[in-house]
Amino acid sequence: MADGQQVCSASGIPIKNIYTPEDTKDIDYDRDLGLAGQPPFTRGVYPTMYRGRLWTIRRLSGFNTPEETNKLYREEYELGQTGFSVAPDVSTVVGLDADDPWVTADIGHAGVPMSSLEDVQATFEGLPIEKVSTYMADRCGAVNTAMYFVMAEERGLDLQEIRGTTANDLLSWSVPALINQPPPQAYVRYAVDFIEWCTEHAPKWNPVSFDSYNARDCGLNAVQELGMLMATAIQYIEEEKKRGRVSLDRFVRRFSFNTGLHNDFFEEIAKLRAARRMWHRVIRERYGIEDPRCALFRVHVQSSGSTHTTQEPLNNVIRIAYQVLAGVLGGAQSIHANGYDEGVCLPTDQSMLLSIRTEQIAALETNVTNTIDPVGGSYYVESLTNQIEERAWQYVQKIEDMGGMAEAIACGWVHREYMDATIEHERRLASGDITIVGVNKFRMEKEPYEVPIFRWDPEAPDKQIERLKKFKKNRDQSRVNQALQELERVTRSGENVYPAVMEAVRAGGTLGEIAGVQHKVYGVWHHPIGV
Amino acid sequence: MDKNKVKILMAKPGLEGHWRGIIAVSSAFRDAGFEVIYGGHMLPAEIAATAVQEDVDIVGLSILSSNYMRLVSETVKELKDRGRGDVMILLGGIIYKEDFPALKEMGVAEIFLPGTPLDEIVEFVRRNTSEASQKVS
Amino acid sequence: MAGSDEGKVTTASGVPVKDIYTPDDIKHIDYERDIGIPGKPPFTRGVYATMYRGQLWTIRRLTGFNTPEDTNRRYREEYELGQTGFSIAPDISTAVGMDADDPRVSADVGHAGVPIYSVEDMETVFNGLPIEKCSTFLADRVGGLLTPAYFLMAEKRGIPLNQVRGTTANDLCTWSSIDLFNQPPPDGFLRYAVDLIEWCTQNAPRWYPVSFNSYNPRDNGINAVQEMGMLMATVIQYVEEAKRRGRVPLDRFVRRFAFNMAMHSDFFEEIAKLRASRRLLQRIMKERYGIEDPACGQLRVHVQSSGSTHTHQEPLNNLVRIAYQVMAGVLGGAQSIHANGYDEAVCLPTDQAMLLAIRTEQIVALETNVTNTVDPLGGSYYIESLTKELEERAWDYIKKIEDQGGMAEAIKSGWIHREYKKAIIEHERKLASGEITVVGVNKFRLEKEPYEVPIFRPDPRSPDILIERVKRLREQRDDAEVARALKNLEAVVRSEENTFPAIMEAVKAHVTPGEMARIQLEVYGPWTYPIGG
Repeated sequence: MADGQQVCSASGIPIKNIYTPEDTKDIDYDRDLGLAGQPPFTRGVYPTMYRGRLWTIRRLSGFNTPEETNKLYREEYELGQTGFSVAPDVSTVVGLDADDPWVTADIGHAGVPMSSLEDVQATFEGLPIEKVSTYMADRCGAVNTAMYFVMAEERGLDLQEIRGTTANDLLSWSVPALINQPPPQAYVRYAVDFIEWCTEHAPKWNPVSFDSYNARDCGLNAVQELGMLMATAIQYIEEEKKRGRVSLDRFVRRFSFNTGLHNDFFEEIAKLRAARRMWHRVIRERYGIEDPRCALFRVHVQSSGSTHTTQEPLNNVIRIAYQVLAGVLGGAQSIHANGYDEGVCLPTDQSMLLSIRTEQIAALETNVTNTIDPVGGSYYVESLTNQIEERAWQYVQKIEDMGGMAEAIACGWVHREYMDATIEHERRLASGDITIVGVNKFRMEKEPYEVPIFRWDPEAPDKQIERLKKFKKNRDQSRVNQALQELERVTRSGENVYPAVMEAVRAGGTLGEIAGVQHKVYGVWHHPIGV
Repeated sequence: MDKNKVKILMAKPGLEGHWRGIIAVSSAFRDAGFEVIYGGHMLPAEIAATAVQEDVDIVGLSILSSNYMRLVSETVKELKDRGRGDVMILLGGIIYKEDFPALKEMGVAEIFLPGTPLDEIVEFVRRNTSEASQKVS
Repeated sequence: MAGSDEGKVTTASGVPVKDIYTPDDIKHIDYERDIGIPGKPPFTRGVYATMYRGQLWTIRRLTGFNTPEDTNRRYREEYELGQTGFSIAPDISTAVGMDADDPRVSADVGHAGVPIYSVEDMETVFNGLPIEKCSTFLADRVGGLLTPAYFLMAEKRGIPLNQVRGTTANDLCTWSSIDLFNQPPPDGFLRYAVDLIEWCTQNAPRWYPVSFNSYNPRDNGINAVQEMGMLMATVIQYVEEAKRRGRVPLDRFVRRFAFNMAMHSDFFEEIAKLRASRRLLQRIMKERYGIEDPACGQLRVHVQSSGSTHTHQEPLNNLVRIAYQVMAGVLGGAQSIHANGYDEAVCLPTDQAMLLAIRTEQIVALETNVTNTVDPLGGSYYIESLTKELEERAWDYIKKIEDQGGMAEAIKSGWIHREYKKAIIEHERKLASGEITVVGVNKFRLEKEPYEVPIFRPDPRSPDILIERVKRLREQRDDAEVARALKNLEAVVRSEENTFPAIMEAVKAHVTPGEMARIQLEVYGPWTYPIGG
């Protein structure tokens, strides 16, 4: 790196050659940092952090069929994984049943197909869901979550005790160009309905995980990532404030978060520290919520897929190791280490093992968990934390000026930010402004080695279609029809839709049928992407 | 000397200099009550001569460079030449799995890779030396 | 982890670690006195003012295998991949100073390194490589052939010796930790070592004539405090010897000291160790020896991921370990880094492992932005407090060694080896009890290895090739010249004179490493490491 040229963090914050006490002299320790588990939570949400409990090792996974996914989950459980994250396949994400000709080709790709209650049951067959926590990367309206809850009921478990998280998040939803989605404002309605319902019926469930992972993977920087994340959370609270059905402290109590972990090691650490302070300020200063539990920015982080390369895939083991370490030093509650073959295929057994090992090595061999917020006090990290926070607030303000996150998505601004970021990233890559080892620098003529490849099961679609047909044949069709009619009525009213969703699932309604009601009422929205 | 004690010669054939492994294993053997002769660097012929002279039950070889095939076969040959083909040979160090069959064919009783719990090695010796432990003076 | 149990949680070296560190924990630290800015005493934050913004660390890997020809091919590949320095690992025969046709060593020829017996072999190793643009590390035997052969090669290429850049190991500390055959006793070692330093101050001023090295001792199980203590005690030993001789002013004697340390598992302790070591060295030079020139107290350090932390089981896990250790080296401000091959515990590195080792360093250097600012952790309550604590504990350990009569005496008496043995046994105990975790070994161990990795096999023909070569060397050289050089060398070794010019002459005359080593042992007597028993 040539001296003299402006050195910046990945988000463009100018970085000095050296940071000294001068750079942190405006920090008031008690006001800005404090102890872990105490406002403003900069140093951590819990007083003992990893000395009390390690982060959860959790990997978003799912593939082919519920049976095969179940097998994988059992293996992960054996290896010491302590939580599951269900990645739905494309058919499930777009809310179409396996037997819909639109999605036949996509069944079992990139996730597990879950058209019906039976699919969810098969996915969790033999796993003690009362002992683990499950993350559902659910589509709009938390329909698969309803299936999970009904499964729990059928197992005789008390929903009051069941632990897990539903994505239920406008921000990450906004990113992929998915067909068959409701417009943003409708998304917020379903999302907030679900949160309201959980406050009463599933109080240990995190009813939303505000998630900037996918947005970050579009090329956004850390400041934009935090800005959009906070703006989305604010959007939800504003909606509930408008409704006034649930007190805000109960509404926000179990908010959880999900961010990417990108390459810029210290910026990512500073980002998590800044996020904790920002969230505390949102809750305490903006909404006047006094309960400190509401101000806890509990976060699941994941190594950024967009930083992984198809070239020399084992290089990703190293990238992922650093991103995981940044998550740990940033004080995350849960971490997903990607498979090193993320840029090549779905994870193989080998890559899955290595990602779990990465977290175990960070947790058990490096002693970085010995003390809380070990980088706290560093002139550089503290100064960077401040600057990220400051810049992220400005970005939140920008979104608010547009009428909030839902409006900013609806009008296309958010997608312009994504597209600009993507194009800018490509430009910087081409100019060598940023380096990706083995890609735009030190690229080899020939791939130096092969890695094992995961192959999708071409029979997955037929198996799923068959199962679904049988499921539909065996249910009480009139009960289903009745439940779906009731769901439509409730959807058209201002009532909370979720009890009707639960009832539709109990009656044997499928994902496609339930999502169909969404579209009947709200229409289908088109992502403002294109050139 | 207690003749009922299992007697082990620990040696490094070849001149490669890592000694952490052999010391860890030697100490574990000693703690387990075996009689340990620490030979350090020795030529295969020296190992065999010492094994005969000290009337050992076991020869433990530690090799961390990749020349073990040659060093082990020479050691086995030297022992046989001296009429002590019965001595149990244990091998530790960095050994390729694909060479295990050939090494066992040569007469190595067991091979211990890095990361093997010391208890496991001690246990192996105990299990396989019932004759040795009943040896009469 | 034991949970929030104060006093029970410690660093790997046993420093108690609190739940959380706050400004209270660094109140006793004076910024100007103890931390300061990089490039200025006490150098806590780095030896250079701009550090990696000015120049990245050198990516350097200790390599060598089979024959000089094969090693040359590997070096050329490494050079193409962007490696910026070379490190010669001599094979066992070269390290012990025995010629290939010596029956004691012939099985070991070409194993664990490259056999080099002459200037010509050295020329083969560096064939086609621009040594004027690189710096080279020579893990030479004391009084060995590698350094003179390298210098003679440079002269033959027309590169003046005062332009040649590189380092000779020449270090008592690491030598103590490896059970090498055919060695002189510690005082003999020290004599040769100090001779080379003296000679270089005059003749090869850009060469680092010694790299004090605690890598191998650390791999014997000692902890970070012991590592620092042994390292610094060795430095003191050398300076004391130079002081006793009085031939070279101390500021010149110490000017080009280089260092080599291990990067072990305890991430922050390793970072703090490098910071504390910089402060220690500066204080030794300034406070103990009154050397005012700040250039003399700079701990320029090469670090290497610790082989002893790498596992034979699930070898790809080592990629993660090595990645963390390399990162610790970077955050600690190292000048040069060797990332091990992930297959370190399986075989000599394959092409794939070597590539990944280099990629690890490149990814840290070019993708993570940790090089954006100097000493990014400086000021951290935990790091500053740990740095201070480690420094204090290292002083205590140095004192212990001095009480033994210094490092050479402590080695000779067996004290150092008792420290190693205690550490080895203690480590095994902790592994067995689960006090320390090694993932995939004493925790989460799989019944069956889940996958295979490629392995490297040395060429079984190497011994024969080298035996042939050394025989030819003896046939073709001028016997009278050899006899003269050997006679002169022996006379010089028996005198108080500096041995290095005579060693250069001997190498020029094609005296073999075995012949040179024989003189060492004749004069000083052979020495056996106090390991057994």
